Amino acid sequence: MGENSDLIALLTTLKMAALTTIILMLIGTPLAWYLANMKSRFKVLFEALVALPLVLPPTVLGFYLLIAFSPQHLPGQIWQDITGQQLAFSFSAIVIGSIFYSLPFVVQPLQKAFEQLGTSYLEAGATLGAGRFDRFFNIVLPLTKASFITAASLGFAHTIGEFGVVLMIGGNIEGETRVLSIALFDHVEAFNYARAHALALGLLIGSVVLLSLIYLLNFQQPDSDKRSNKNAHKKSLGKGL
Amino acid sequence: MSSVSINSAAKATIDIDVAIAFDGFHLSLQQQLPAQAITGIFGHSGSGKSTLLRILTGLEKRAQGQINFAEQCLLNTRNKVFIKPEQRNIAIVFQDSRLFPHLSVIENLAFAAKRCKNSALKIEDIVELTDLTALADKGINQLSGGEKQRVALARAILAEPKLLLLDEPLSALDNHNKALLLSLLTKVQQQLNIPIFYVSHSMAELQQVADHLLVLEQGKVVDFGNIHQVIHRLNYPTPLSKPEQENGQESGQSNLQPATFSGLTQQQTSLALQIKAHHPEYGLTSLAVNHNSHIYLPLLTNKTKLGSEVRCFILANDISITLTEPSNSSIVNHLSGKVSEIQQQQHSVLLTISCAEHDFYTRITALSFQQLQLKINAPVYIQFKASAVKTFNYSTGE
Repeated sequence: MGENSDLIALLTTLKMAALTTIILMLIGTPLAWYLANMKSRFKVLFEALVALPLVLPPTVLGFYLLIAFSPQHLPGQIWQDITGQQLAFSFSAIVIGSIFYSLPFVVQPLQKAFEQLGTSYLEAGATLGAGRFDRFFNIVLPLTKASFITAASLGFAHTIGEFGVVLMIGGNIEGETRVLSIALFDHVEAFNYARAHALALGLLIGSVVLLSLIYLLNFQQPDSDKRSNKNAHKKSLGKGL
Repeated sequence: MSSVSINSAAKATIDIDVAIAFDGFHLSLQQQLPAQAITGIFGHSGSGKSTLLRILTGLEKRAQGQINFAEQCLLNTRNKVFIKPEQRNIAIVFQDSRLFPHLSVIENLAFAAKRCKNSALKIEDIVELTDLTALADKGINQLSGGEKQRVALARAILAEPKLLLLDEPLSALDNHNKALLLSLLTKVQQQLNIPIFYVSHSMAELQQVADHLLVLEQGKVVDFGNIHQVIHRLNYPTPLSKPEQENGQESGQSNLQPATFSGLTQQQTSLALQIKAHHPEYGLTSLAVNHNSHIYLPLLTNKTKLGSEVRCFILANDISITLTEPSNSSIVNHLSGKVSEIQQQQHSVLLTISCAEHDFYTRITALSFQQLQLKINAPVYIQFKASAVKTFNYSTGE
């Protein structure tokens, strides 16, 4: 393996994390909204399902996804019919795996923020003539902005660090599924401690910087924002970590 | 500014026939309410008055039945009609103002104006009308309670609603701010001609501004009609069935009886009288009761023009009775009249005294009643101090 391979792994990782974060924000927001407003007694069940990746060994998640992604099973079969390519051991597979794996890190801060926000401002908005999307973009989003930043950052950071799921469903294909944590593992296996150190330290510093930025942002909210949301995302941040 | 009016003078009504039940609370009412001037909605907590407002706005989605407002059906559960809150054009001022904390005062107002389909009103005009010019660029957290409610009122007005609902808008304010907002409310109503429903558990507030009064108790209508007449009917703990009430013009009149009302805690005489003269040297203002008699109350300080109408009330406990015309008394107000109604209560007697065209209510002890040997139609004099004549306006001058 040349020097270049670590750079390729870095790019693959960033690409995977960025794509995962974007998709997670798109599906996590409505999911969090739905959970925050859910009154059914099955709410706890859904919350438990979302939180599952927090406690489940990534290899367990990876194992079931691997089976689902194989061409012998329906999800993998449908994927192959549509794209003409096998899903397992592909870049798409590790993105899908990451979405499951990082879901609670995005959904939980958002759900807490939505719950904390309550319905009072939304009701006021509705009686002033604001429709659903208008209310979301002009009331909910600005009032929970900090939680959106937190959710995206946590989702991104957590995805960068994933190992077990990627290993199970992605394998170790350079430029496709070989991410930083796997590259690190390879270096250790090969007793190449110098390069392992470089990668590990890089990941460590990157994570510290990212988290520091999140905390910094949380304390730099304008007064109005802070008042209604500081507690919400601080709490969820603590929980998420 | 003075000519701005967003509602035509057409006398619209709102027909309500709704029922709702949740958490052991039941509300069931059929009532036609006028969508003009200010209609007060009075009741103790838990009577369903706020729930009624939430049903009217569409924020309470569990209500069954139908609501028709000026030819438009807002709710008809049988035909599965439910107009969303954002399409009803009914604005509400909440008790807790609910101003958007991420927006400044002026941005809060613009939020409403931007979503208004009419746009007959200009933000600047309403800012001026509600005296918010100095606050326009402030953040919501910098405002006092009274200022917040003024912004909330201005914001609701800028939605140019067909009906404006106020849900206990003054309950968190001190008396000075209450008086300010009440006079602002009357001014807004008169200049813009927006029909207003005003919910409160304070009869003193409602007496100042409402023209009609709806009384709720345990989710049912107790009474509805002209504010003064309803207050006077409420003086008697069991609902009176006076034959002359409102000539049955309100459809809800026929089914008033199911709810019993515990009565007003403080029985009172409610009056709307014209200012006759100011006497700054004595600190008094006089109000005309009829052509040849008047009553005094503490001087109404600011801008209350002669001839303009003042709402006031006198508690039944503050009026006393004599059989001969009082003289040499420090009590400035005395009027002659006849006893027209007598109701014995536990240790006291509630009397209705007709003086000129007005009924006055007085409560005296059972002992006094016995000593005076009062009978229906007996000629009497009522007397009360100037300070017993209460109105919200008096505190605005300070």
